[in-house]
Amino acid sequence: MAAGYRAEEEYDYLFKVVLIGDSGVGKSNLLSRFARDEFSLETRSTIGVEFATKTVQVDDKLVKAQIWDTAGQERYRAITSAYYRGAVGALVVYDVTRRITFDNAERWLRELRDHTDANIVVMLVGNKADLRHLRAVTHEDAAAFAERHGTFSMETSALDATNVDRAFAEVLRQIYHVVSRNALDIGDDPAAPPRGKTIDVGAAKDEVSPVNAGGCCSA
Amino acid sequence: MRKKGRAVPEWLNSPIWSATPPAPAPPDPYGVDLAPPPPPPAAAPPVPPPPSYEQAVGVGGGRGDEDEDEGAGAVIRAHLLSDFKTALSKKVVNMGELRRLACLGVPDGGGGVRPVIWKLLLGYLPTDRSLWAYELEKKRSQYSAYKEEFLLNPSEKLRRMEETKLSRKKELNIERIGFLPRLEITNEEHPLSSGKSSLWNQYFQDSEILEQIDRDVKRTHPDISFFSSKSNQESLRRILIIFSKLNPSIRYVQGMNEVLAPLFYVFKNDPDPSSSGSAEADTYFCFVELLSGFRDNYCKHLDNSSVGIRSTLSKLSQLLKRHDEELWRHMEVTTKVYPQYYAFRWITLLLTMEFSFNVCIHVWDAILGDPEGPSDTLMRICCAMLILVRKRLLAGDFTANIQLLQHYPATNIDHLLHFANRLRGTIAG
Repeated sequence: MAAGYRAEEEYDYLFKVVLIGDSGVGKSNLLSRFARDEFSLETRSTIGVEFATKTVQVDDKLVKAQIWDTAGQERYRAITSAYYRGAVGALVVYDVTRRITFDNAERWLRELRDHTDANIVVMLVGNKADLRHLRAVTHEDAAAFAERHGTFSMETSALDATNVDRAFAEVLRQIYHVVSRNALDIGDDPAAPPRGKTIDVGAAKDEVSPVNAGGCCSA
Repeated sequence: MRKKGRAVPEWLNSPIWSATPPAPAPPDPYGVDLAPPPPPPAAAPPVPPPPSYEQAVGVGGGRGDEDEDEGAGAVIRAHLLSDFKTALSKKVVNMGELRRLACLGVPDGGGGVRPVIWKLLLGYLPTDRSLWAYELEKKRSQYSAYKEEFLLNPSEKLRRMEETKLSRKKELNIERIGFLPRLEITNEEHPLSSGKSSLWNQYFQDSEILEQIDRDVKRTHPDISFFSSKSNQESLRRILIIFSKLNPSIRYVQGMNEVLAPLFYVFKNDPDPSSSGSAEADTYFCFVELLSGFRDNYCKHLDNSSVGIRSTLSKLSQLLKRHDEELWRHMEVTTKVYPQYYAFRWITLLLTMEFSFNVCIHVWDAILGDPEGPSDTLMRICCAMLILVRKRLLAGDFTANIQLLQHYPATNIDHLLHFANRLRGTIAG
């Protein structure tokens, strides 16, 4: 694993992003696919929170994404909500083959709204899109949800890697757009030290227009 | 708050703590499942004579660590096997003696002393050996009754209820031959009934928990073949379902499967067939015993109380501050790496995810055996884990430290436990 030395890599921005959603929808695999290009059919359940970073290019800037993968079970809500602090982006994940996980997305969104800035960039992510024959949530359902709640939406498959990078990249790009037009304040948390620029999602209310990147998983 | 704290003792900065060698693979307890294979015992280079109990447990304290050899722990454990056997053969087991031995580590293999020792340490077996057969019989039949009560689905339950009714009716109307009675299902017990007391209603309410348990049982140590076996998975599933039914305030919390796994593995691999045959029942009761000391950590509505997980985490923070204020300051003031980011899982899962499975079993020997009790012992081991990597932590920033602690490096477990012993008797009330 990473040695305990200061990571001296360069980046222009550091954004904290949280992964939330019901247990078993594939949050940890989305993260491992994005951060390390790995996937495992047998992932042990996430207890508390796990953490990974990856630096990507957005326009001409280097953006370091600090991604927090959280436990899905109801019991852990009170604990995991503490991890939301300072988050400027979120992926609300459901499993396209389990309707209940989509129905619960609304609860997750509320959870997010209660603990983060109202202008956090949110993407609804329907994972396991490779399981076409088991689909229980349509593109239209997801699009309607995104429309209603002003979020982005996308379908992914951590298993075959479809759209995983795109989903994260899109969230980071949208955050960057907010940031580049406004001073964005991530706060005094050294967990997310702003480099040179201050970031204030709150000031960007009208700037983030919900675009449905939606239904783009036409694979 | 003491200003300068206690100065970090010189030995703490010894290179031994920063360049931890990979964990020596202790002899595989049961032969097949666990990789990597154990090194041949002859490979262990010059073995120092086993230290006395006082030395090994660190009661005397202040002893240098440089003479600790990697293979020493395993050798000490093997040496202790005969001591264990003597202790276990007494008519009434002396728990003080047993704990003192268990703290040094229980030898693997060796005719399966670990299952009996764990059952004694958890209070499942009484100390008086003459009571064992009776106690076990009682508990095991109680477990069978739980299975009957909680694991039948409603239609099966109704069918049995009807059967009882019918047979009673038959006894009454024995003369009305030729009359075929129909199954009577009351409205209340129709699957679509919304009546509160409906068995079906209860069944549907539980299905979310059942699905969760199913999902987690399937992802319990997926890399170990023992846990991929259908029948072993069924056992874990039944235990968790029964626990959730009998403990409605906690029900099932994700991660309980991980805590259950070492118990079931150890009991199921007991070379005594009469014990391994009842491993499921024994595991259930031992799981309940073990959790009784930790149950508040699983309770959502106690999260913010003085007994819940948050308070446990702050105890760890205090313990670290007391023993290594410099490290504490770097972690919590400078880099803001709070225990909730890494120790939540350490504590909730009793370290089962932090080490390889066979190493974890050795850590549990100490957690279960220590006379200070599992909770305080766990705290001391967690604190020791931090101090053992202090050099890397002190050099690390937020990201590096979180990643280091969420993927704890392979460690010489004997060093770790030995060091945890040095922190004895210092847990804040």
